[in-house]
Amino acid sequence: MDTAPKAASPAGGPHAPSRKAMRLAIAGSGLLLVIAFAAFYWATSLASRRKAAEAGDAVAVTVTDSACEPMDLTVPAGRTTFAITNRSNRAMEWEILDGVMVVEERENIAPGITQTIAARLAAGTYDITCGLLSNPRGKLHVTPAQAADAEPAAPALLAFIGPLAEYQVQLLTHAGDFAKATSALAQAVQADDLERARALYGTARLSYARLAPAADLFADLDTRLDARADDFGGREQDPLFKGLHRVEYGLFAQNTTAGLRAPAEALAADAHELDQRMATLPLQPDRMVSGAARLMHRAAGLEAMGGAEKYAHSDLADIQAEADAVLGIANLLRPLAQKASPGLPARIDADGAALSALLAAQRDGAGFPSFETVAADQRAAIAAALTTLGDDMDTLGAALGLTTAGRSAP
Amino acid sequence: MKRSIFMLATALSLTLGAAGAQAAVSPLDLVAPIAQYKVYVTKELDAFVAATKDFTDAVKAGDLAKAKALYAASRAHYERIEPIAELFSDLDGAIDSRADDHAKKEKDPTFTGYHRIEYGLFVTNSTDGLAPFADKLMTDVNDLQARVKGLTFPPEKVVGGAAALLEEVAATKISGEEDRYSHTDLMDFQANIDGAQEVYTLFKPLLAKDAKNEAFLKKVDANFASVDAILVKYKTADGFESYDKLSKKDRKALAGPVNTLAEDLSKMRGLLGLK
Repeated sequence: MDTAPKAASPAGGPHAPSRKAMRLAIAGSGLLLVIAFAAFYWATSLASRRKAAEAGDAVAVTVTDSACEPMDLTVPAGRTTFAITNRSNRAMEWEILDGVMVVEERENIAPGITQTIAARLAAGTYDITCGLLSNPRGKLHVTPAQAADAEPAAPALLAFIGPLAEYQVQLLTHAGDFAKATSALAQAVQADDLERARALYGTARLSYARLAPAADLFADLDTRLDARADDFGGREQDPLFKGLHRVEYGLFAQNTTAGLRAPAEALAADAHELDQRMATLPLQPDRMVSGAARLMHRAAGLEAMGGAEKYAHSDLADIQAEADAVLGIANLLRPLAQKASPGLPARIDADGAALSALLAAQRDGAGFPSFETVAADQRAAIAAALTTLGDDMDTLGAALGLTTAGRSAP
Repeated sequence: MKRSIFMLATALSLTLGAAGAQAAVSPLDLVAPIAQYKVYVTKELDAFVAATKDFTDAVKAGDLAKAKALYAASRAHYERIEPIAELFSDLDGAIDSRADDHAKKEKDPTFTGYHRIEYGLFVTNSTDGLAPFADKLMTDVNDLQARVKGLTFPPEKVVGGAAALLEEVAATKISGEEDRYSHTDLMDFQANIDGAQEVYTLFKPLLAKDAKNEAFLKKVDANFASVDAILVKYKTADGFESYDKLSKKDRKALAGPVNTLAEDLSKMRGLLGLK
């Protein structure tokens, strides 16, 4: 503690406390003393007990110039402490590897020295390194243990940090792309370059589709960016009708960039704001999954009704981009899902592939045709596949303990 | 008496405070800084790929002076992001292993990467025979970039990375064994410190939310400043002084704050609830 307490004022001074108060204070401080010592004793004895347990239970591995001793280790799943002794003549590092990935490591163990390393390991077979890179590697077998098996089916909040952070990075990338595309779109409109503006609209639209599962987290901007004419009393003529679809209407229904300067600039400004906001978006596991599920169900409804892109008719590309975004979320959660509900990730993969196959069947060489050319039964099939994927995401949310029940969980 | 009451109360609050330390940060608070760290790593990797391209091109073109000049600065990108880069053990060995990691040392055919080329440039003093190593290095660095892109960063490796970098400095840089042929250790040194400081800076606002961490943060800030102040003395127009010019005493002056930093930063995982 850096802060030095003020020196106590001498007793009998102008503000000397009464005798009774003094006695109380002494009694109180005595009590504090007892509590503090008890707490201190408890803390230190706990720490030393823990330390002793770690050293005592440590699995010993000795590394010589040519190999590990032993070359084959078996430990139960959960937390294990290893005591690594370097009996080679050079400093070395010791690693536990899962494939080529380092699970845990202890670097720079000097010759003659023993160092400990604690690792929390899931059941499986790992490699261990043994000094020189050319030395044969040892095997570490981790057997399922009661403690590890008892791990609840629903993962702890801590387990979602990695996937959420990775999701945030992906959102940052897409938001950056979206801001870039809308800026270029505004410039193309400014230059009255209809063809270029149309192409850039497509680019912007796809970037936004990749952000769509998280749209609930920026609902205010989403309303400005993605509202459809039907949402306004005066439809296309309504002065409040702005955003992507307003630009789409001009470029693809009116076939001109005339009158689009202000909407295109507002779109770019909103996209820029979204990009700025993305780094601090409050991501949560339940919303990550429920947003994905909702997006698929919403898309299914829209496609059944004739599509979301009323003027550009680029729905097929949009659907693929949205489905990719949803499958990307499922993929980030795959290790957790595999534990909580083995078989579910494979089912999601299969349902995603089925949707992609339906979309791919519509392709005509260069890309996706206008959604208008898609036959009614094909639209229905695509909508059904979207619903299935939405249901899968609901099931995933339930399996991960994020929601109480799936929409149509089996 | 008041003094002892104060001290006892302090002892008590410290004891209780230690028990409650983990509750201060919600796991979800860690998401944004980890995401930002990946953005940082991605940018460093982009720069690493570009710098390695320039470096290996110079090696292959037989431009010894240029290759020597580019060596230290290009590998600095790797040193900044080592907590993540070294998770891929095969690539770490191929890109950054030292002769000591191989049975026949410098003569071992499996000795590849930056230090193998360093050996050629600074000891053999020639680019002869280095082209295959340059090609392999470029391939490995591209591979690393692709793999990191697809990697979900393990939170404990990110937060633990700050201490890992300082431990690396303490264990291998102070002795001068890392860049033993070129003596460009100080450039690596600075890169490791920068990488650690990046991690620390990203998580500092979270730690600062808890008033109990104030002294810790103050101390870490002060030690980073000490290390930076020492390093700045050795800066030259195009990098750093050759490490073999530093006396034992100079090296010792660096070791002090580095060891303290390594020890302090190792507490970050616990303070952020990532034990």
